[in-house]
Amino acid sequence: MTAKTYTPAAATVRLRRLPPPLIALILAGVLFLVGGLAAPGFANPNQAINIARLAAFLGIISIGQTLVIISGNEGIDLSAGALVTLGAILTFRISGGQNEMIPVALAAVLLTGAAVGLINGLAIAFLKMPPLVMTLGMAGVVTGLIYLVTRGELIGDDPPLLGQLFSEQLIGPVPGVIILWLLIGVVMWVVLERTTYGKHLFAIGVNRTTARLSGVRVTRTLVITYTLAGALAAFAGFVLLAFTKTVFLNLGDPYLFPSIIAVVVGGTLLSGGKGSYWGTMAGALVLQVLTSLLRALGIEPAGQMVIYGVILLLIITFYGRQRSLRQ
Amino acid sequence: MTTRTAPSSTRQFGKAFSRYPWLYSLIMLVVLLVINRSLQDNLFELFAVNGNLRVWLPAMLLAAGQTMVVIAGGIDMSVGGILSMCNAILATQIPSDATAERFITVIAISLLAGLAAGALNGFGVTYLRLQPIVTTYATSFIFSGIALQILPEPGGRLPRDVTTFFRNPIGDAVPVPALVIVGILIFWYVLTRTRFRQYLFGSGSKAEAAYATGVPVSRVRFTTYLLSGLFAALAAVALTMGNGTGNPRAGDLMTLPSVVAVVLGGTALSGGRGSVIGSLIGVAILGSISNVLSFAQIDRWVRPLTDALIIVVALAVPGVFALVRRMRR
Amino acid sequence: MKIAPIELTVQRAVKRYGGVVALSNGNLDVRSGEVLALLGANGSGKSTLAKIITGVVAPNEGDLRVDGQAVRFSSPHAARKAGISAVYQELSLVPDLTVAENIWLTHEPLRAGTLDRREMQRRTADLLALFSGAMRDSLSPETSIHTLPPDEKQIVEILKALSFGPRLMILDEATASLDSRQVDRLFNLVGQWKRDGMAIVFVSHRMEEIFRLADKATVLRNGESVGTRAIAETTERELVGLMIEGMHEFERRPPSAALASAPVRLKVEHVTGHGLHEVSLELCDGELLGIGGLQGQGQSELLLALFGALRVSGHVTISGEEARFKHPKDAMQKGVALVPGDRASEGLLMIRSILENLQLPSWREYGVPIRMKKAERDGAQVAEELRMVMASLDAPVNSLSGGNAQKVVLGKWLLRSPHLLLLNDPTKGVDVGAKSEFYELLNQLRDRGTAILFYSSDDDELLGLCDRVLVMHDGAVRAELAGDGLNRTALVAASMGAAG
Repeated sequence: MTAKTYTPAAATVRLRRLPPPLIALILAGVLFLVGGLAAPGFANPNQAINIARLAAFLGIISIGQTLVIISGNEGIDLSAGALVTLGAILTFRISGGQNEMIPVALAAVLLTGAAVGLINGLAIAFLKMPPLVMTLGMAGVVTGLIYLVTRGELIGDDPPLLGQLFSEQLIGPVPGVIILWLLIGVVMWVVLERTTYGKHLFAIGVNRTTARLSGVRVTRTLVITYTLAGALAAFAGFVLLAFTKTVFLNLGDPYLFPSIIAVVVGGTLLSGGKGSYWGTMAGALVLQVLTSLLRALGIEPAGQMVIYGVILLLIITFYGRQRSLRQ
Repeated sequence: MTTRTAPSSTRQFGKAFSRYPWLYSLIMLVVLLVINRSLQDNLFELFAVNGNLRVWLPAMLLAAGQTMVVIAGGIDMSVGGILSMCNAILATQIPSDATAERFITVIAISLLAGLAAGALNGFGVTYLRLQPIVTTYATSFIFSGIALQILPEPGGRLPRDVTTFFRNPIGDAVPVPALVIVGILIFWYVLTRTRFRQYLFGSGSKAEAAYATGVPVSRVRFTTYLLSGLFAALAAVALTMGNGTGNPRAGDLMTLPSVVAVVLGGTALSGGRGSVIGSLIGVAILGSISNVLSFAQIDRWVRPLTDALIIVVALAVPGVFALVRRMRR
Repeated sequence: MKIAPIELTVQRAVKRYGGVVALSNGNLDVRSGEVLALLGANGSGKSTLAKIITGVVAPNEGDLRVDGQAVRFSSPHAARKAGISAVYQELSLVPDLTVAENIWLTHEPLRAGTLDRREMQRRTADLLALFSGAMRDSLSPETSIHTLPPDEKQIVEILKALSFGPRLMILDEATASLDSRQVDRLFNLVGQWKRDGMAIVFVSHRMEEIFRLADKATVLRNGESVGTRAIAETTERELVGLMIEGMHEFERRPPSAALASAPVRLKVEHVTGHGLHEVSLELCDGELLGIGGLQGQGQSELLLALFGALRVSGHVTISGEEARFKHPKDAMQKGVALVPGDRASEGLLMIRSILENLQLPSWREYGVPIRMKKAERDGAQVAEELRMVMASLDAPVNSLSGGNAQKVVLGKWLLRSPHLLLLNDPTKGVDVGAKSEFYELLNQLRDRGTAILFYSSDDDELLGLCDRVLVMHDGAVRAELAGDGLNRTALVAASMGAAG
């Protein structure tokens, strides 16, 4: 491009060349500042921290989703919502509000989540079930398990340490969950970009035949990915309890689709093989700023939903477009 | 060639299954109905048939629309939202003393609303080239929001004549929902005898190839979203006439089951293969499972798990067969 | 059958993709009763030019005229309405529809507005009869496309183009997956069509076919038409000269004396399964063993089986060690490498970077976390050795031309210095320049002692490069040709299944 004239179209082109995570981050910032103009008192540091804290929960739920979507072949995890609920309920019940039981609860949460994810992975890899269908069915099974085990009675308590660690201010005004989230961001970058597993994950997301003929254990990588996704979704439930302090039977459901949208808004291809967790983090921030902003503006729920839908459409229109059939 | 040595009966069987992808689900439905019958003596009597079909009809209409989108290579996560929206329109705009004219006008309006919603989805997916699953999820917020705006709380009451007509079999013999189902089947039969059928399956099987051959892929896909919107609106009509009232969240929990029904009916989520007939069977399977569980008097805290497990196993069976076949080779 | 006359001209056609110019000055003209060959190296723009004529690609500039009238095709459909029909290299068939449904897609015979399936079957049977004897007799119009082998798909694609009753037919690499019998049949048909008054544009890499079939040839180089010659008045050398500058000449090397004493690297005994029957062979270090035969006679399966990607029975040893690979990874770790037959779908991750493609089999060797600097250094080195033309190692593979993309597939295995290299038709769809570089590389590898098993669909390659050639037919090795016995007559005879 040698055009030097500045036109809006050229600006769009230039903006599109930016990495999607950066675009999403800029978008989150812009929305936040717009919020400051539209609703006085919205754009202040406390609000920023609060938004980041809420985004962190969503972001943690989206870790597994990011991995699964990168793995390709319509990869998606619809059991994440039910697993978040399960993770929170297990922590609530096993710890019974006692701090010293937290490690036991955490171990149980991770193992249960991994077991569920393992079944997802095995069914998807060996029975060739479409991930959407399998994980949707699994969401039903997990919810069924919750009903069966609790019989509707949610006994237990939240351990206070959990709240202190994650939800309340830990370092200065910053709550622990934000620090945890940033750490996870670094770890995820290393996992995706600097480990053999990460390289293989991208490879199977693009082309499984090529991957296999290059010595990648496709099935194993796939099963590991769904297992990790299960464990991480349940872990998100563990963290969420710090914030909600209580549990109910569909605690995690409202996070399910936002966890997918956060991944997409962050520029990860739904078709697999391309993406990053930084993008997902930025995507989670965008969604949370948007939600908080709509609430701060005092629009009633019906209007909030419509505006949320329209803005989502605009965001994905901006860079979620697929290739044209005509060249 | 190993296929040549296979016994011809197995081959015939395989051929039938590939031509009628819903055969497997039909077998499953028959098994479920046999079990259901053993638990419920009056299952095949008019009263029970009418009741079941009435309950299943909205889901069947949703699944029928969903099927066409899926065959063409897309997915519509907004069918529930569209249903809620049209349900809200119908419940608020048809007062209990409405005239026939008013009744018909409002139904026409809600069908148009469904078409408009489908057009928005189709526009996003085909002309803006957005990912179907995300696009229709985003638009579902718009439709649900509109539903909530029109009808903030469950309410509204349709004229008694309407619900009475809809709930009672015509001439004490023919359930109204059965007529609608026959209508869907005729619609599908006619559609599969037209050129559009080739376009539909071609676009879903391999869009680039279909496009290169001159199939108007974008227009075909757009049409499937229009049809899906229309069928969701029809589902809303069926639901409203059945319940006689409206609920702005009526469709919230109906979208994902419509996808499950489509897959149970043998339609491939990857596109290019499937049938509306299978999806209707799929809805009947889902309905029969919950009937069986309720008549078997399964503990209510055990039921959700049993229900989900049966569905997962049913979904997995074709995969297990395929796995065994691969292992043998 | 008489076909209405047509005259098509393209002048100064330009096509840009973003900043990349695929075609800078495309010109051609062709008329009824004429076969025009379009040739050029990969990336020369000949496919782009062909696609402009068929309406698949929208040109940025240029003048396209049918019978003197300026036209602009908005879609393939529009081109077809003007009587232009194409056989594409990447097939335009829909896998879930049947043979008949594919052939008649968009122009199905109708009766009272509904599909007339019986008529469709009948017309399809008539078309299939054109290739009777050159394909399975059991092929029915009702067979689903996804169950067909590549050659039959290609034939259906040709019949589909024909079904539109075109005045102008474009054959874009239409012979690439056909065996010689099928090619002969196609050429007879083309001769017939020509006499009927059809105009034909023939895009091919195979010089021999061009001289057999074409009346004139238009040569493209770097996106530009650089000349048109009447076939009767030109030579292969002249056309190649137009296509490339400074072509590497190569000649068959005398068999190396050291080969006789070289250790046996690969020994295959009675391998059976996946269409293979009792295949046995031996391959020494530094030897280039060719595999020939018609397409789809088990050559790909043999290579895949040796690489652990297909499970077969029989006995395989590598350097005397039993080799029972359950996964390509096992083979890889024993120093075996495979360059698969289909670059795009089996060899590359198109949207990922060149570096990631080169290192895909080798990431494990770089530790945790991956030592990226070292991986980049190694990648850059192999790219340089192979003279890859690229923007950077971070550029996605889909930005490369065919020849360079194939170098990436080779490069990822060269990085691992394999002892045994399995090659599945590696020069398919590769331009002449890259081919000669590739031949040079093969000779270097032999000198280094690499054992190479080399399947090629190009008889010239087998005759010119190999010490020994095994000819496969119907999943079995039918003949072993070496020394004076390795000649074209013997190769063709054995390919057709005649006793060796």
